[in-house]
Amino acid sequence: MVRTVGLPRMHKEAGERRDFLPAFTAFLDRAGATEIVVEEGYGSGMGLTADDYLRASSKVRVGDYATCLGQELVAVVRCPGDEALRQMSRGAVLLSMLHYPTRPGRVALLRELGIRGVSLDGLVDEQGVRLVQNLEAVGWNGVQAAFKELSAHLHRFAEPGRRPVRTVIMGPGHVGAHAARAAIHYGDPALRTALAKRGVPGVMVTLIDYDLTGQENMMLDLLEHTDLLVDATSRPDPSKHVVPNAWVGALPEHAVMLDLSVDPYDFTCNPPEVKGIEGMPEGTLDQYVFQPGDPVYARMDPRIDRTHRRTALSCYSWPGVNAKVCMEIYGNQVEPIARVLLECELDTLDPERGRFFERVVARAEVNRWQSAH
Amino acid sequence: MAERALSLGLPRMHKEKGERRDFLPELARTVAEFGVEVRVERGIGSGMDLGDADYTSVSERVQVVEHAEAYKQDVVLVLRWPEAEELTLLKPGATLISMIHLPTRPARIARLNELGLRALSLDSIADDEGTRLVENMRAVGWNGVEAAFGALEARFPEFRDAKRGPIRATVMGAGLVGKHAVEAATKYGDRGRAGELDEQGIAGVEVTVLGRNLTSRWRYMRDRLLHTDVLIDATQRSDPTQPLIPNDWVGWLPQHAVVCDLVVDPYVLDANPPTVRSVEGIPRGNLDHYVFPPDDPTWNATVPASIPSANRRTVASCYSWPGIHPKDCMQLYGRQLTPLLQTLFSRGGIAGLREDGDFFERALFRASLIAWTRKQTPAGEVDEGEATAG
Repeated sequence: MVRTVGLPRMHKEAGERRDFLPAFTAFLDRAGATEIVVEEGYGSGMGLTADDYLRASSKVRVGDYATCLGQELVAVVRCPGDEALRQMSRGAVLLSMLHYPTRPGRVALLRELGIRGVSLDGLVDEQGVRLVQNLEAVGWNGVQAAFKELSAHLHRFAEPGRRPVRTVIMGPGHVGAHAARAAIHYGDPALRTALAKRGVPGVMVTLIDYDLTGQENMMLDLLEHTDLLVDATSRPDPSKHVVPNAWVGALPEHAVMLDLSVDPYDFTCNPPEVKGIEGMPEGTLDQYVFQPGDPVYARMDPRIDRTHRRTALSCYSWPGVNAKVCMEIYGNQVEPIARVLLECELDTLDPERGRFFERVVARAEVNRWQSAH
Repeated sequence: MAERALSLGLPRMHKEKGERRDFLPELARTVAEFGVEVRVERGIGSGMDLGDADYTSVSERVQVVEHAEAYKQDVVLVLRWPEAEELTLLKPGATLISMIHLPTRPARIARLNELGLRALSLDSIADDEGTRLVENMRAVGWNGVEAAFGALEARFPEFRDAKRGPIRATVMGAGLVGKHAVEAATKYGDRGRAGELDEQGIAGVEVTVLGRNLTSRWRYMRDRLLHTDVLIDATQRSDPTQPLIPNDWVGWLPQHAVVCDLVVDPYVLDANPPTVRSVEGIPRGNLDHYVFPPDDPTWNATVPASIPSANRRTVASCYSWPGIHPKDCMQLYGRQLTPLLQTLFSRGGIAGLREDGDFFERALFRASLIAWTRKQTPAGEVDEGEATAG
């Protein structure tokens, strides 16, 4: 079982501000960690200082990136790059979003390096429900940002005389459902209350699934009257668009498009993988709003048809937009998982008859996952 | 574990004939493996084609007893709140685990205290973020919508016509139940039915969700209801004294339309002020009878005479939608309860639960009657003796 914990930062994007909060380090201390190394600058993206962590636990010390990676348990939301993985010790546990099904190369590397991956996205209960997730934030943060844009583009947005705002959500799964609830509230319950008090009509949300998105005539009729188009689809075939770029032209000029599915363009695959709405840029935490004249369009792969454009929003991590709230949720969700790792040997966990969280961790461990798949 | 093995009673629910749910043998086996003596009521599972032997065969610790005996165990687990006379069967100091609805049922709390019972409310067991750990909202949404689309198929000749346009469903309310109802509606409440119609090239379902800042606008609602095939009520009203859809508005729906009632509030006209159902004039169904065509002779049985009900459309309503598919429902509850019961029994019962214990222990503690009472009582007024007994 592990005793020392490393909490490295995520360095890939400058806009990534998320780190586990001091409350999580206090928990690790209570659960038996003997040493907790946080990277220099940890929490600074959320206005926290080293003192905040040092105060939370006497087991905390500040170290560099390599020292964090050298601990027995390394916990970080997004998976470190290959070079960083090579700095980890053989037999160490990596608790991170590892996405085994879509990252076979990563699975192979973890096994080659002898790293015991425990995938945060693979922590599921017996019904397959993810235990570490923030789909609510995906829906709410994206929709909130989209309505901020729409309020600037839609004529008489805050006036009682306007018609209801029309939102179309493609994909009625978990993310789509959160987006629907968020859209009814303009992504901001306070704004909704204020507008409702002034007698401004609300938001009508229409949800459609794959058996309608393929019907061109119906879709064009719908899009012509859509103020906010949301892609929350989970496509079985990511090589096919849901909304070809030509259909984007049917949207009113003021319309806003929101990408919540955040599938990437990948032209290294055959056939290439594309986004649900053709011509949608790929956003980050540094930039997730794109006006039609944004220079990003000039940099996109020429194979992507982006002739028709509307204000577009896309971000690889919508939960990261509200970093502190996101990490409070992740911290609470990860606590029972970390407890198992601190209290039990990974090899002794029984995926069938162990306690609830022991079974959960066992199923998400890389070697067992690979054997099962 | 306590020195003497604790016992768990699993009595049946007898109030409605159509109630077929009982905890499954798998749960009895798992709890028996924790070292607990399990006493199940004779006939348990018979509504789901299970026999007593299906339970006794899973462990020697599982035994069949009569109704009263099932209530005389240290811990009694029963999904729905027991009848008045059943409550008196529990031993003082025993623990009742049930859907108690502590925040809205003060009379139940008083009765539990009067009888000296401990209690855990299943509907209050939640994680640190307040997400319920024992719930089946998904079944409320899916089973209700499945029944509504079944009724629509029976009344709407164009349902399987490849030339028809999309079916239009309107969902009022976007909370947890509404969320599941939306997903279910896009699939006609039944993935098999959706796949079949899709294969035939028949257009799917367009689902529109409305919040209360639109449902209150009659002009908008008239336009919407005129083009609605399935109206789904998943609202949580802030004012239950007023209907959301007055009976006159029901008349705007097409004749073939179906009203799907997922809220299932009762009419309580003797309350002050009286509470009414959100779609005015619709009946309230049960597990025996949950689809009501407009000419159903029992329509008025649950609709008081003073409530306008002249405008009628087919209604799908059931006080317990999860109970429509009892085995699926109890499988889910069993899975959700397993880690909680393991924690409860490993702590030697409810008195051993710690407020700052692990994930499930904290969740159980918060759902206990003593935690609820403590929350309602100003600091300094808690009877510490009682609190310790918890």
